[in-house]
Amino acid sequence: MMVRNVKTLLALAALAFTFGASAYAQDGMKHEDKAKTLETGTFHGKVHSTSGRATIYQEADGKLVLRLTNFKTSNGPDVHVILVAAKDADDNANFLSSSTERVELGSLKGNEGDQNYEIPSNTDLSKFKTVSIYCERFNANFGAAPLEKF
Amino acid sequence: MKSNISSLVSGRKWILVAAGLPILVAAWWAFRPEKLWINQKVSEPAPFASSTDPQPLYTGRLEGRAHQTSGRATIYKTPDGKQSLRLTDFSTSNGPDVHVVLARSDDANLTQEIVKGQFDSVELGSLKGNQGDQNYDLPASVDLQEYNAAVIYCERFHAVFGVARLEQF
Repeated sequence: MMVRNVKTLLALAALAFTFGASAYAQDGMKHEDKAKTLETGTFHGKVHSTSGRATIYQEADGKLVLRLTNFKTSNGPDVHVILVAAKDADDNANFLSSSTERVELGSLKGNEGDQNYEIPSNTDLSKFKTVSIYCERFNANFGAAPLEKF
Repeated sequence: MKSNISSLVSGRKWILVAAGLPILVAAWWAFRPEKLWINQKVSEPAPFASSTDPQPLYTGRLEGRAHQTSGRATIYKTPDGKQSLRLTDFSTSNGPDVHVVLARSDDANLTQEIVKGQFDSVELGSLKGNQGDQNYDLPASVDLQEYNAAVIYCERFHAVFGVARLEQF
């Protein structure tokens, strides 16, 4: 009687193990933590053919930096890099009329190439989820990159 | 001659010019049409660039197919040229004989849950765990332009657990 109980228990335990267990792997990355990659995303924007990648890094001292790579957009007047409190943005979206909250990161340094922008340290990245290349003069979104966890 | 000049100077033409010039300047300032042809290219280095760290080449988010799968797949290259696939924030369901493979992102099989027929893939190894961060070495010869999708694939049932389309980092 005892033996059978133990056997049943063992069988049940084996079943539970097969179906219930999840294997957890934890490989490390071989690099000294100079900068952590927090979020990344790619630009879309057909009207002003914007493309490339936007990535947010946190440097060792905690500073947040937005970096654009393989970046290309159309040149234009008074174009800025901003973060907007939205999951994504349509082409030519007007954040002024939709009163979308935004964080100014500075004037676009160039319409092509790799470039870095400092992000104010108090910026809540869980709220500002999209990078926008924004023409302030005409209040038009040239291109947007929705960010996802890296 | 005299009458020609006076007719030019006098009258409505001057008013037109006087009024038109500021409008032209304003229009130029607003639209900056020359920027259509003038590119401004910058090339800032990463502020923390270190040539000894593995550099990310391609990355993408995993999407579930036959089973819920999530996380990020990134291909890194070390300075000595070795490439590896790293999964982060990774979660899929546990299963029998599950492998990590690279495939062509335009392969029709990847839109389905079960692979039927030919499946062109590059084996990276058995899935080390159904959760957590993990690295897989890439064969030296693999062409990442061609094999631009990371796939969590159950060999036993030909089931595509999840797919990540890899895009240039």
